[in-house]
Amino acid sequence: MPVGPFGLDPLVWLPIRLLIAVGLALFLILNGALLQIYLERKIQAAMQDRIGPYHVGPFGLLQTFADAIKLIAKEDVRARLTDPYFFIAAPALVFTPMLASWAVLPFAHDVVGADLNIGLLYLTTLGSMTVLGIVIAGWASNNKYAIVGGLRSAGQLISYEVPQILALVSVVLVVGSLSMVDITRSQAGPLVNVLVLPFSFALYFISALAETNRTPFDLPEAESELVAGWLTEYSGMRWGTMLALSEYGEVTVVCSIMTTLWFGGWQGPGVDVAPLLGVLWFTLKVYAFVLIFMWIRATLPRMRIDQLMSFCWKGLIPLALLNILLVAVLLMAFPDTRIPVAIASWALLLGFVAGVPYVQRRRLATLRARARAGQVPAHAAKAG
Amino acid sequence: MTLDFVEPVVFGVLAAGVIVAGAAVVLINRITAAALLMAFTFLCMAGMFVLLGAETIAAFQVLIYVGAITVLILYGVMFTPQADRPYALFFQKQTPLAGVVVAAAAIPVLLLSFSFVGAVPKPGGDDLPALATSVFVDFAFPFEVASVLLLAAMVGAIVLVKRDEDSEARR
Repeated sequence: MPVGPFGLDPLVWLPIRLLIAVGLALFLILNGALLQIYLERKIQAAMQDRIGPYHVGPFGLLQTFADAIKLIAKEDVRARLTDPYFFIAAPALVFTPMLASWAVLPFAHDVVGADLNIGLLYLTTLGSMTVLGIVIAGWASNNKYAIVGGLRSAGQLISYEVPQILALVSVVLVVGSLSMVDITRSQAGPLVNVLVLPFSFALYFISALAETNRTPFDLPEAESELVAGWLTEYSGMRWGTMLALSEYGEVTVVCSIMTTLWFGGWQGPGVDVAPLLGVLWFTLKVYAFVLIFMWIRATLPRMRIDQLMSFCWKGLIPLALLNILLVAVLLMAFPDTRIPVAIASWALLLGFVAGVPYVQRRRLATLRARARAGQVPAHAAKAG
Repeated sequence: MTLDFVEPVVFGVLAAGVIVAGAAVVLINRITAAALLMAFTFLCMAGMFVLLGAETIAAFQVLIYVGAITVLILYGVMFTPQADRPYALFFQKQTPLAGVVVAAAAIPVLLLSFSFVGAVPKPGGDDLPALATSVFVDFAFPFEVASVLLLAAMVGAIVLVKRDEDSEARR
């Protein structure tokens, strides 16, 4: 008879382990959301020369707790003409895939819910399921702003999934495994993957911003044009589950993917001696990315929907395919060394950064020439 | 006590999910609900792939069918003018004929499935190398042919929706 940890029968131990993993994930998501909302408000305030929350508790630390209690205590409002089943189901459909993705995040050596050998594929799969909940939420609200937000979200998420997955493929090619634990282990030294594959990191970073509906890609909930997008009809804890918990949980998940794939996950000084130190390194790296996301949100304006789509289909996807082609060919040609791959990737990154202003200037020149020829009104040329 | 009894129970739940949700997709009148139930059917199918030890195929099933195709169907439904119909669709009034067709297809399949004796699949297996070998080595040519077909379809779709520069500029 097989015996699991603590001398327990596997039949007893496996459900307990499942409960512990889900409970821990829920605990981390709830507290992460509270912490990130507070950070977001404080950091945006600092960047915009304001004070931010400061009334409740020291430095306003208890403000998000107060907000959370308010959300939970709020009356459950549902407009009469919303769809009764889907309106209630949508928050769960958005939240559940995000919760399930926490199962494969490697927090430290052996601290992982499940070491799936297709962990990365599992994460992208769950990321693609969120969009279903968003579309259903938009449709069930029976509100034109909500449905426009939901449809925008569907278009945006499906489009940006493609460069996101293609960017992940190049890392998988270099590492040779889809397991999050193996990918972390392969970056034991200071030579983390971002030094080898900076271009696929840049592609993933941009697509991750779009996948999590963050600025400059927050079109599904563009408050200045769509009230609150697909969240218009939601309030109370339904809104809290969908926006606060799911969005910040999703941000944490994509930041964890970036940490694991390109920055060595829980690897760091002292991990060999004390494996639990990995949790600290992992958390610090993840929160560094979360802070960058907040910085971007406080800095950049929102893109227009046609710019968003053409940037993805005409810019990111061809570049991601070129990236895969180069990485695969160079790995086949030089199986022993990663230096050629690194050189190619850095060259692509420099070309990308240098090329964007050039392409933009040429587009503007075309639009201005057209405006002078009287084909489009001048204000459209300026906006382009 | 072993874990052997878990697998048939899980299979039973998944099979019930596939059959009930699949029947509901055909019988239900609300098209959005039908689309969601179809996504549920795909999810249960993915669960069956996991039971068979083919996690990669399960992941692709969810990624492509639930994450992309169902969303595109919902997209199409929301952009078409008709609302959910309170009355049965035209083709839903042909129950006896449909019953005959389904029976003609299902009975041979049932008989075949009970006569099928194959190797017991190893659950939780690492199916990724096997899948990669069969797609990129053993069946590379059919795979490439399918890719060319999809490329042709994509080019066709782009040509269909492409506007020429002049009409674009006038908008």
